[in-house]
Amino acid sequence: MKEAKLPASKAKKERLSKFTSFLFVLPYLLLFLAFLFIPLVYGIYISLHDYNLLSSVQPFIGFENYATIFNPDSAMNSLFFEGLGNTVKFVIFSVPLLVAIGLGLALLLNSIPGKLRTFFRTIYFIPYAISVSVVSIIFLWILDTNSGLLNMYLMDLGFDAIPWLTKQPFAWISLIGATIWWTLGFNMIIFINALNEVPEELYEAGAIDGASAWQKFIHITLPTIRPIMLFVIITSTIASFNVFGQPYLMTRGGPGDSTEVLLMGIVNLAFEERELGVASAMALLMSLIMIVISVIQF
Amino acid sequence: MKKMNKRWSALAVTCSAVLLTACSGNSGVVEEGGGDSGGSGESSEITLWAPFSGPDGPFMKEIVDEYNESQDEYTVNFQIVPQTEYYRTVDLAVNGESNMPDVMVMHGDQMFTYAEKGIIRDLGDLMGDEISADEYHPNAIEGASVEEALYGVPLDIHPLLFYWNKDMFEAAGLDPEQPPTNREEFIEYAQALTNEDENQFGYVVPTLWPQEFIFPTIVFQNGGELYADGEVQFTSDAVVEALEFERSLIDEYAVSPSDVQQDGEVTMFLQGRSGMHMNGPWMMKQWEDSGLNYGVAPVPQLGTEQEGVYANSHNFVVPESVDEAKLDGITNFLGYVGDNALAWAESGQAPASKAVYESDEFQEVNAQSPEVAKQFDYVKFGPDVENWGQATSPLMEAVNEVLLGQKDAAEALEEAQ
Repeated sequence: MKEAKLPASKAKKERLSKFTSFLFVLPYLLLFLAFLFIPLVYGIYISLHDYNLLSSVQPFIGFENYATIFNPDSAMNSLFFEGLGNTVKFVIFSVPLLVAIGLGLALLLNSIPGKLRTFFRTIYFIPYAISVSVVSIIFLWILDTNSGLLNMYLMDLGFDAIPWLTKQPFAWISLIGATIWWTLGFNMIIFINALNEVPEELYEAGAIDGASAWQKFIHITLPTIRPIMLFVIITSTIASFNVFGQPYLMTRGGPGDSTEVLLMGIVNLAFEERELGVASAMALLMSLIMIVISVIQF
Repeated sequence: MKKMNKRWSALAVTCSAVLLTACSGNSGVVEEGGGDSGGSGESSEITLWAPFSGPDGPFMKEIVDEYNESQDEYTVNFQIVPQTEYYRTVDLAVNGESNMPDVMVMHGDQMFTYAEKGIIRDLGDLMGDEISADEYHPNAIEGASVEEALYGVPLDIHPLLFYWNKDMFEAAGLDPEQPPTNREEFIEYAQALTNEDENQFGYVVPTLWPQEFIFPTIVFQNGGELYADGEVQFTSDAVVEALEFERSLIDEYAVSPSDVQQDGEVTMFLQGRSGMHMNGPWMMKQWEDSGLNYGVAPVPQLGTEQEGVYANSHNFVVPESVDEAKLDGITNFLGYVGDNALAWAESGQAPASKAVYESDEFQEVNAQSPEVAKQFDYVKFGPDVENWGQATSPLMEAVNEVLLGQKDAAEALEEAQ
């Protein structure tokens, strides 16, 4: 009797434990459903309709919104592909810098004494905690062509004022500089943790074999932190693809429309022109492109 | 050591959380007075939405509070929706067919779109004893009308305004009480005020906002239109001339610095390095707060043909979906606002109701509002076209590139057409 009872209670216990685990996952699942899955499905639904926010009817039109985007004669086509081109430019310029400088700073901080390291780590991380509007205002003041801090110093040193936000390539340089200052801390923290995980024995063995610092970096550090590196590259790419606030607030897409990134166009289309159908189609295409790029990076 | 790290990152996370909450504190609908729900019957409570999240909010609240105290029959529940989210919030309420206000404030340039879609109501049947069109400036009524039908009760008209720095005028040997009135004087004053060695300029030409107000103003003054006969007129002589004139202030006359960035002209005016400035009446608080010794006047005639100034307006509109039982209360409230909008003038705006802008108190309310009202007779609004703001975005891009010296005026406008 005793033996028969045991498995039953064990099974019960197991079920209970599974249920408890489920409870722990539940909050995330609910948030995922509410803020990601349901909006995504709804977005797909909207993208298949002629969805003007103010119209009383929103007829189903199949893939017509997507067809418009790919029709070279439509205004939507140039809006999407010019915006995409600008976004891609931003990604290509910013991601390598975000990764390389993040790693460089992590290496630098790891090689200085403990107390100082914590101090600098905090300093470098603080900008990440600031909202994009504050970052943009700070840089608008620093970079102002005619009264900004940076140009004041340049002019004191006898250089000409540089139109940081109103002329290319300076506008891109400024946007990317501001982005690096703002988000670098995150990558740096991740890299510092990764570097701490590299087994000390490997360096000792390397030192015995007479490896130089560079050789240790190439043959020990880099291979060990490879998975983390991949993570940083992918998250940086996704974050850069989603660029919106910096150009929206600092250049307003200018000069001309040269820094008008895709998300600016989509948000404008959705909430100023109220054309949610095409805007949703564009947003979904953009996500698709991001997914493909992330998979390729893997 | 590890423990220490954790503590630091915890601190960083806390800081970020604090900053995030601090920054998001502004969002969402803010309930402002009224709203003692339950006390009075359903039909007597009127919900009013407005985008007055700036320094203008308290003045409208004052009017509403006084209305609520002045009588017992109706209660107005005033809700401020942040300006940047205003039309999005309205659109989502329209789309969801729920939570629509009974009255809302709408900009003149938005009314065509909402009237065409049948979202806001023709107010012709509300005109009578309590409100009538002839109590308002005729241009305000025109601005609140769509194809001859009145869709809004005007609150104010806000045209472009001219500001100048009196201290700089004095230092340049100009009469600090005498603003320029035409193009010749404007250029002459600007040249007198400019001192490039001191990094000081007569007039700083913005390359982005508020060109949406400045550029059409000069086009109208040139006798031109941005939109006529069902199409945009970006390549007409009046439009090209307006843009060439603005560009000439930078290169030919050199009274403006080049490569002005977003808000750069405001910064320089506040720093006392720009003698003259053009912007909307909403800037008054910023000038006051900075302690600038400034003057305010109608915009000089910078175009070659006639007086004119681009303006937008605030109007009270009523959604088509409104409960008919509330119309009496709405009419009563709007009638009251028309007679008692002096508080709105304290924000630097000029109410469009004759009872206010023709009164003696209005002349005394501040230095700015009477100057705004002086322009009522020749204001011009954006054309009645759906999403006009959007239709002008290629034009504003062209203006931006030309004023940055990166394109030729005629060529850029040709591309925008």
